[in-house]
Amino acid sequence: MAYAYLFKYIIIGDTGVGKSCLLLQFTDKRFQPVHDLTIGVEFGARMITIDGKQIKLQIWDTAGQESFRSITRSYYRGAAGALLVYDITRRDTFNHLTTWLEDARQHSNSNMVIMLIGNKSDLESRREVKKEEGEAFAREHGLIFMETSAKTASNVEEAFINTAKEIYEKIQEGVFDINNEANGIKIGPQHAATNATHTGNQGGQQAGGGCC
Amino acid sequence: MEPAERAQAALDRVPRVDAYGFERPADVDAAAYEDSLAAQLAVLARRAHKWERLLRGGGVRRNLTLKRYIRKGVPLEHRARVWMGVSGAQAQLDQNPGYYHRLLQGHRDDSLEEAIRTDLHRTFPDNVRFRRDAEHCLQEPLFNVLLAYGLHNPAVGYCQGMNFVAGYLLLVSSREEEAFWLLDALLGRILPDYYGPAMLGLRTDQEVLGELVRAKLPAVAALLDRHGVPWSLLAARWFICLFADVLPVETALRVWDCLFCEGSKVLFRVALTLLKLHQAFLLSAASGPELCQRAQEITRGACAWHCYSFMQTPAARKQGFDELCPF
Repeated sequence: MAYAYLFKYIIIGDTGVGKSCLLLQFTDKRFQPVHDLTIGVEFGARMITIDGKQIKLQIWDTAGQESFRSITRSYYRGAAGALLVYDITRRDTFNHLTTWLEDARQHSNSNMVIMLIGNKSDLESRREVKKEEGEAFAREHGLIFMETSAKTASNVEEAFINTAKEIYEKIQEGVFDINNEANGIKIGPQHAATNATHTGNQGGQQAGGGCC
Repeated sequence: MEPAERAQAALDRVPRVDAYGFERPADVDAAAYEDSLAAQLAVLARRAHKWERLLRGGGVRRNLTLKRYIRKGVPLEHRARVWMGVSGAQAQLDQNPGYYHRLLQGHRDDSLEEAIRTDLHRTFPDNVRFRRDAEHCLQEPLFNVLLAYGLHNPAVGYCQGMNFVAGYLLLVSSREEEAFWLLDALLGRILPDYYGPAMLGLRTDQEVLGELVRAKLPAVAALLDRHGVPWSLLAARWFICLFADVLPVETALRVWDCLFCEGSKVLFRVALTLLKLHQAFLLSAASGPELCQRAQEITRGACAWHCYSFMQTPAARKQGFDELCPF
């Protein structure tokens, strides 16, 4: 399908925090409680609409285990957005955020938009990390923040779409060099044809479903 | 009978779960499966008889006859014994009696245990023998084998991918101790540095595969370059899992027969064969993501059955396997 822009995302964070489940919920609108673990890097895609423009999200889902970083690091380059995920029921996964962030900042372009995600918000009774702690960490490091549940789909749409909005705004402000694909943004064939016949930043999704 | 009816009838006859406990994919081509099985039955029976005769003499001795036999596939009932013999795992077990059990009774490593536990339910969720409600659930043996290996080789500890490898070993040998020494043969000798902290061995082999493709399938290499797709995206899972959970189980075990006997070059041959067989399909991908999608498809679904029969048929194997062989 024709799109105005293509944004590349990368999903990172410790193993077992729900990265693949977030992606599956976003692309396929389903939750798979039992699934294979991600080895190396996997891939998903979906079309969304921002400001009346079709935007294709191309999402790279990475293995969380330490050993795989040598492989997954090469995917930071060429990403416009990153979802950095921890599990609110496992304090360890929150404690490791600093390392993840350093890694991401070191290997990505400096304008990459990073969304911090506290996943598994449905498991309130097992919560180990307060929402305020997530907010504070995000504030301190200049990230956007949300708590999500890949299981109930709560905030999953918003997490992916708000990241895209932020990238889109940066493009409007001229921060991103959209002619350099290394920034994780590609101008689509449709771009020249679209104009302001649509209203607002509704951010509703179009055409869900599957990998492209 | 109409083709559709025939397909449905065949589907009803094919068991829901295969000999290893894997649920058959819903889109399995049951009629093709039955046909290939029927064609193979006589061959398999003859081969089983030959293997009986070969092994009657006692131990497994490495020689050209054995290699030739292994190329044609080891019958499941002999697989554990043959793998133990050709890989040197049996010798290790004999020289270190009780070592495996001592490892499990020794000191504890909480973070290692947690890392392994996190992945137990994510190992072969499509296999009934790995489900918690199975009669002899393989999750606990899998935990033990991985834990023992992590304690045995602390430089590696536990790395994801090892769970699939150890899981396959437990499907072939019901003895944890054998699975442990087979894992040691694979990770310690056949594929050194694949699962270490920097995965240096694995990354080296990925680069080597890239060079081999450049030499043997230049159009595929050019396509990857054009779409900016790194090799690690296409083939990391193939090499990290040694095609377990990538190819259909029987095909993957046939690959492992050769892997234990001939070493890591087998992984390259299988990868090159897959790419060559499906070159046209890959080359018609319009984008990087589509190429990745197609690289997954060639190991699954209808394409995988093609590969299955390719591994099963000696004549086809000769064409695909030997001609491609760069060594």
